Amino acid sequence: MQVSEIISWLINLLFYKPEVFCPIFYPGLVTILALLIFIIWLERKIAAKVQLRYGPLYVTRKAGGILQLLADLLRYMFQEPIIPKTVDKIAFIAGPVLLFATAYVPAALLPATAEFTGLRSELSLLAVLALLTLAPIFDIIIGWGSNNKFSLIGSMREGYIVMSYEIPMFLSTLAIAMVYGSLNIVEIVEMQSRCWGILLNPIAAATFLLVALISTARFPFEIAEAETEIVMGPYTEYSGILYGLLMGASYVKFYVLSMLFALLFLGGWHPSITWLEKIHPAAPGLVVFIKALIIMVFGIFLRAVYPRFRVDQAIRVGWHLLFMLSMLSIAYSLAVIWLVG
Amino acid sequence: MSERTIELYIGPQHPGSGHMRFDITLDGDIIVKAEPSIGYVHRSVEKIAETKTYIQIAPLVERPSLADTVNPNLGYILALEKLLGIEAPPRAQYLRTLAAEANRIHSHFYGIGILGIMLGSSTAFMWAFADREIMIELLQMLTGARITYSYVIPGGVRRDLPVGFKEAAEKALRYLERRLKDYEKLFFENPVTVARLKGVGVLKKEDAIALGIVGPNLRASGVHYDVRRIEPYAAYDDLDFEVVVKKEGDSYARLMARVEEIKQSMRIIRQVLEKIPDGPILHEKYYKMIPPKTRKQIEETGRLKFPAAFATLKPPKGEALSRVEGARGEFLYYVVSDGSPRPYRFRMVSPSFRNVWLFAHLLPGHRLADIPAIYGSIDYFPPCADR
Amino acid sequence: MKLEEVLELLKAALSGVECLIGEESGIPTVRVHPENLLEAAKKLKESGFDHVKSVTGLDYPDEGEIEVVYHVSSYTKPELTKVIVALKARVKRDSPKLTSLYGIWPSSAYLESETYDLMGVEFEGNPKQRRLLLPEDYEGIPPLRKDFKIPVEGVDAVE
Repeated sequence: MQVSEIISWLINLLFYKPEVFCPIFYPGLVTILALLIFIIWLERKIAAKVQLRYGPLYVTRKAGGILQLLADLLRYMFQEPIIPKTVDKIAFIAGPVLLFATAYVPAALLPATAEFTGLRSELSLLAVLALLTLAPIFDIIIGWGSNNKFSLIGSMREGYIVMSYEIPMFLSTLAIAMVYGSLNIVEIVEMQSRCWGILLNPIAAATFLLVALISTARFPFEIAEAETEIVMGPYTEYSGILYGLLMGASYVKFYVLSMLFALLFLGGWHPSITWLEKIHPAAPGLVVFIKALIIMVFGIFLRAVYPRFRVDQAIRVGWHLLFMLSMLSIAYSLAVIWLVG
Repeated sequence: MSERTIELYIGPQHPGSGHMRFDITLDGDIIVKAEPSIGYVHRSVEKIAETKTYIQIAPLVERPSLADTVNPNLGYILALEKLLGIEAPPRAQYLRTLAAEANRIHSHFYGIGILGIMLGSSTAFMWAFADREIMIELLQMLTGARITYSYVIPGGVRRDLPVGFKEAAEKALRYLERRLKDYEKLFFENPVTVARLKGVGVLKKEDAIALGIVGPNLRASGVHYDVRRIEPYAAYDDLDFEVVVKKEGDSYARLMARVEEIKQSMRIIRQVLEKIPDGPILHEKYYKMIPPKTRKQIEETGRLKFPAAFATLKPPKGEALSRVEGARGEFLYYVVSDGSPRPYRFRMVSPSFRNVWLFAHLLPGHRLADIPAIYGSIDYFPPCADR
Repeated sequence: MKLEEVLELLKAALSGVECLIGEESGIPTVRVHPENLLEAAKKLKESGFDHVKSVTGLDYPDEGEIEVVYHVSSYTKPELTKVIVALKARVKRDSPKLTSLYGIWPSSAYLESETYDLMGVEFEGNPKQRRLLLPEDYEGIPPLRKDFKIPVEGVDAVE
């Protein structure tokens, strides 16, 4: 009796308490790891298709090599992470871990559905945004700690780019929050049951999407790691699992931003599929996930199409285009509020 | 060295450097001084040549420049023929032109691919490297080898046109024409490519002349100079083609000059296949030296067997100077013979070596991120420069 | 342009410079004393030869001399584009020194540097002169000299 009680308590805690389920399973860690493997595989497959190649193939040949990335992950895990003598050890080791962590934490705060959410707060949108801005700091710290000129240049580039996209990111999210008059993600989604955010403020949506591409180093903005220019940017000195964490972090961030985009502009879990609730209370949230996945596929497809911009051109995009667009989106929101009320 | 600047060594172990090193001085993101450091793949072809017989040098000279091998081979043979006082028969001249132009297309695709990956467009890189294979296959059909053909020999060429070559060539050219339109949409007219290349690395006409730049880089700066027209060799005198000249002199002009040269080369290949005369593919003097039985075999298969005299070629005392327009620019050969079976001095000036100047000249004033754009656009190939 | 015309043109262009103009194996050639090299180059440049195609060093150990050959031509003057002129100067083998023609033809910079590197001829006033192709710490006989023997390795090496 005792054992079965403990098991049912554990199952209840893990799977039916949103405060635990959200960070660990969905939209948290487990989803992220599975998604990482899938999305990087898909990225390689799409690029290969465009480039007249096969892409990953030999690991699980029947499934199109989908387990290749699992194999790669295992290799990173067991490879010796080489720590050069000249680096600042604390920054060198803690940097990637904290970078991945800060990229992941916002995901834990995202709601799965209206009832099932890890963080219940009137300011949940603000919390997610604030946590998102933490990650680039560690990019700069590892660039400094690596004690390598290429790393340093790479992290300086990252710093400049962060400055150019952060303000548009905040402004465009605030623009959509203004329309709905709330900073609570759950409330924003609930209000979209009638009209999606992308229709209410398309300018804010476009700005946010571009910001998501820039901030996660998608092409054509893959600038801080530009291989032919500065080797691997801040990540030049890394190997093994530390490198794996760094590489994963940008995808995690892209995932968080895509989820946020789906929640803020694409109606979140609307149209809600209520029968899914019978399986699990978080299951209707899969609608958000699918929407986010479409955004991510669009993002990774760009790799096959575009070369990369120069850093000054990307900063120009940030200040001249995105900043203006985000200001416009605020004005647009005000107009919408004034007209519709 | 002031406190404002940092020194950056890019290469030779760097994903964007190739077999060379750049010594860059940076002020912020701006390059204030750049000096190429070459020689990492130097093997002294000129010294090795002094220890080889004349026929052994033919395969030696094409090794340094792997994307573009027919042209260096042809250039050397032209110098040797001048020393020997012979000239290849017309059919051989046309075949030389054919091989050289197919090779030029191959080399230009190679260059475009490298520029693509330098800018971060992996698709352009993969496409170009796949499509260069088309010309490799075509040349394989003609010569039997894939990269180092050693197709041009003193007094002629190694093989005659194989059966079905014309159709295969036409098919390949039509395919490449289709593909070039895809490249245009994806890479040449991609707004990011244009933003990265337009107005970057402008080489003024006067500077191009003063620095002795060669090839498409020279022509993209507005200098009308192509050895194929200036001093026609092989069959170029009979063929109709345009010398591609651009005014802008920037990286984009250099890229587009190559693209248009591909189109001109296609035009030349079509004309060659149309106009090619019948006749022998080896100079009479050497053809007579081949035993009659072997001669019959050659006539049946179209594949030449070398006469024994090739092993002991002894040109009379003297000097010869020859030049050809390779894919990357002008190859110049200066061979000094003292009457022995080995050259007294063998001088080979490759186009990439003459283009080395461009790094020191073009890079200062640009941003760090422009290095790959400029490097890729001048189609510099370190082994070709180092020899 | 015929060879005779080229020689006439060279004679006119190089009047006042002590030099020997003729053809050698069909190549129009100007032979000068090292002291007059700069002067001759200046005159050639004025007459339209605007770039150097090649700088070659030829080693003649029996005569104790090294011959340096500049092959010059023109990009701009249509009638000269077809012409390559060899400008030759001989220097002593034990102290081979020439004035660099960098100031007149910048295109000679790396070509002269290569000749310095591989043949051991010094060009005074060439900013690019350095170990270009050989390793930076290379010491010994310049490899293109006749007394440099290619080291034999592997199975052919003497035990």
